[in-house]
Amino acid sequence: MSSSMQFYVSNLLVYLGVDVMACLGLNLQFGVAGLINLAFIVFQAAGAYTASVLTLGPSSSMGGFQSYILGAHLPFPLPLLAAAVVGGALSYIVGLIALRRLRTDYQAMVMLVISLIATTVVTNATGLFNGSNGLALIPRPLQSVLGLSPVGYQWFYVALTFACTILVWVVVRRITGSPLGRTLRAVRDNDAAAASLGKNVTQMRLIAFVSGGAIAGFSGAILAQYISAWSPGSWLFPESFVYFSAVIVGGAGNNMGAVVGAALVPVLFLEATRYIPQFGYPGLVDALQWVVVGLLTLAVMWFRPRGVFPEKTRRFARTPGSEPTP
Amino acid sequence: MNIYVLSLGFGLITASILAIASVGFTLQFGVTNILNLAYGDVMTGCAFVAYLVTRAGGSLPEALIAGAGTGALASYGLNRFVYTPFVRRGTRMFGMIIVTISVSLALQNGLQAIFKATFFSLVLPRPSSYTFAGMIFTSQQLVIMGLAVVAMLLVHALLSWTKLGRAMRATAADPELARSCGIATDRVIDLAWLLSGALCGTAGVALALNVTSFTSTAGGQFLIPIIAAAVLGGVGHPYGAMIGAVVIGISAELSAAVISPSYKEVVAFLILIVVLLIRPQGIFAEVATQKEVVA
Repeated sequence: MSSSMQFYVSNLLVYLGVDVMACLGLNLQFGVAGLINLAFIVFQAAGAYTASVLTLGPSSSMGGFQSYILGAHLPFPLPLLAAAVVGGALSYIVGLIALRRLRTDYQAMVMLVISLIATTVVTNATGLFNGSNGLALIPRPLQSVLGLSPVGYQWFYVALTFACTILVWVVVRRITGSPLGRTLRAVRDNDAAAASLGKNVTQMRLIAFVSGGAIAGFSGAILAQYISAWSPGSWLFPESFVYFSAVIVGGAGNNMGAVVGAALVPVLFLEATRYIPQFGYPGLVDALQWVVVGLLTLAVMWFRPRGVFPEKTRRFARTPGSEPTP
Repeated sequence: MNIYVLSLGFGLITASILAIASVGFTLQFGVTNILNLAYGDVMTGCAFVAYLVTRAGGSLPEALIAGAGTGALASYGLNRFVYTPFVRRGTRMFGMIIVTISVSLALQNGLQAIFKATFFSLVLPRPSSYTFAGMIFTSQQLVIMGLAVVAMLLVHALLSWTKLGRAMRATAADPELARSCGIATDRVIDLAWLLSGALCGTAGVALALNVTSFTSTAGGQFLIPIIAAAVLGGVGHPYGAMIGAVVIGISAELSAAVISPSYKEVVAFLILIVVLLIRPQGIFAEVATQKEVVA
């Protein structure tokens, strides 16, 4: 494989890993717990920002060309973990506002508003987030220590991303396969019934929301460390919708579906099409891409509302003798 | 000249556009129980129709009629051929919000694909401006405020004094009961979407009229203040939406003068968040409570 081909493939694989992680996190919120978190991308961006400012040196050492907080210069795994913590903590705060008492579509509307507020605040708070310019020159993890060739480092990062993806997969499986996962699905399907069985509905929703948010933050950190830049313009509201589309196409509530959806929608549509020849005026392909994502989601909702890999219908195991005698 | 008085004037104009838009939005929710997040993008589409009309030499009234007509037909079609079939197929609230966002995304980017991501402004003669108690208005802005007043009076008259208005209120309150009382709820719903669509289209043209230039995302960005106004007033409640529009419009413009123009939108957002925390059913709570928006 030529080195440019290797760059192309490894780049796509890193994006695939990040999108799979994000879709697993969103599936936990949306598919399993029924929360329409239209601000999903905000938690991913928050994680990315956290990891970036913890990796960068102090703001003043950069000649003052970008301003940000912290600049802790922490070694490799710490910024990623901090990103997950911040993603989860932010989700907790937002969840306290949005998840109490509101109907699901009303919740979704609140999330949409939160996403737009976040964008406005971040682009305006120049001192905190460096405005719409964002951050650049974020050191990539272990690059100086390993001393690999550029292509070698690409493959190292692919391995790192995949290891993280597997970690996230295991964590999510532990949640969805446990009694906690069952309770979450019960709350999603019929919150009144779940409450009548003594389940704390708001608390259950918060658990799913915070875990999903932590995963979002973590995946954002992996991405920002890879592209070594962070800018609010690449974390806008429609990006959340791409993940929704992916989870719906793959099959909401099914982890395997989330993985497949991540490979189909964000990676194929939005990443791979960057390499097809542009036609029309600049920007036409981008706009059409979004039209296709919207129409694809509508089509799947119409023809296959449970997605490519529908969630398994779970039944009680039949124990001998428990069946009613005719 | 006092900057606060000036921004009060801007606030009145923003409130006028918001009032037209949020009454339409809230009517759609009240009658069909759908939070139509594609509302702002339908507004944009109507603004583009008005742009085409003025470019072809049409006058402002012609542009307004074309915009309102497009809005009415587009909203009617959207409900009749997209939303209602999905609801009939058993898509729940949970899914309907995704459906409306998909439509919004496709519509917004479809418009962008057709018109390109550049700036447009209605092709109209330069308006004259008037000073009024320290506030400056262009003749076009006076038209916007006049439109808002007329639209609000018409909506009020329709809802309180006509048979159709009563049927609409009955359908919003309890569709099953309304049907069993002999109201053709399907027809009422169609008419409600035509009416709210006309408001949506009018608001879209007014929005385009008030700004120096607009893009394919103009309506989508305006959706948040619309939602804020509707929720503040109590979602589903037309009079609430009017009050909400005045509060949001004026406080947004005043905060632009007091704090900074870039935080204009944030204030509307913050009002929305505070309302959701303290009283999510809004000022007039009947509809919101009855539709179990808030547990």
